[in-house]
Amino acid sequence: MKKVCEAAVHAVDGTAVIELTGEVDGGAAAVLNAAYQQAIADGTAQTVVLDFARVDYINSTGIALIVSVLAQARAQRRTVVASGLSPHYREIFDITRLSDFIEVFGDLDAALQMHSH
Amino acid sequence: MTSVAHPAGRQLASFAVASEPGNERVALARVAEAVAGCGLTGPRLERLKTAVAEATMNAIEHGNRNRPEIPVDVEVTQDGPDIIVAITDRGGEHTPAGPAATPDLELKLAGEQPPRGWGLFLIRNMVDAMQVSTDGPWHTIQLTMRTGAGAPVADLPGGGHEEGL
Repeated sequence: MKKVCEAAVHAVDGTAVIELTGEVDGGAAAVLNAAYQQAIADGTAQTVVLDFARVDYINSTGIALIVSVLAQARAQRRTVVASGLSPHYREIFDITRLSDFIEVFGDLDAALQMHSH
Repeated sequence: MTSVAHPAGRQLASFAVASEPGNERVALARVAEAVAGCGLTGPRLERLKTAVAEATMNAIEHGNRNRPEIPVDVEVTQDGPDIIVAITDRGGEHTPAGPAATPDLELKLAGEQPPRGWGLFLIRNMVDAMQVSTDGPWHTIQLTMRTGAGAPVADLPGGGHEEGL
């Protein structure tokens, strides 16, 4: 049974958090892009946390979506960090070199401890 | 292009999925079920599942062009220590090889490569060996994972290799 990607966006002390749920694949494009636009809408967040703790599948198209978000953020001089990746997807972040550009934290609390004001 | 020999050994599963987006998850689940108890566990099982999903997705999209009436065939075999998964579509030769199949994240972030194009790269890096063959309309990608004492000790990124491209 496919689990459609959903995103919850909120801010914690000036850091935007996008909590993703379900499957990050081609079907997640609209959800992820809308979530990113919402996350930066007020212009104050310099860091966006992508939390994958409730994501159970990421495929190559999902990786491409994350690359697109990262490219937008870098063009806007924003930082993207990730939290909650399983060991397997952490390995995929390493293989693709996403982890060279996206700092990866074990969980959301650790990411916020480092990046919220 | 080198042809892929039909794998010898014990057949663990043989099935087909319709060429519809999302059916890569069906293939992934059925392969995982087929290899249960074969000694492939933990991170290496996760790697095989990702490779199967990506190869099936390629077969659906690029091979059979999302035509649901054309099936993707999946065969799972155990040959000694090797788990072999063969995924076949009817798209003829379509799997890119060489530099075209090697994504560069920095170029993608600079807008000089499209964001997509990670599938074959992930497959190559997930499995111990990958072979591709084309026989007329039949296009097969064969994925091999070794179990037991012969499995790679260090599962470092980039440790996979390919033959037959």
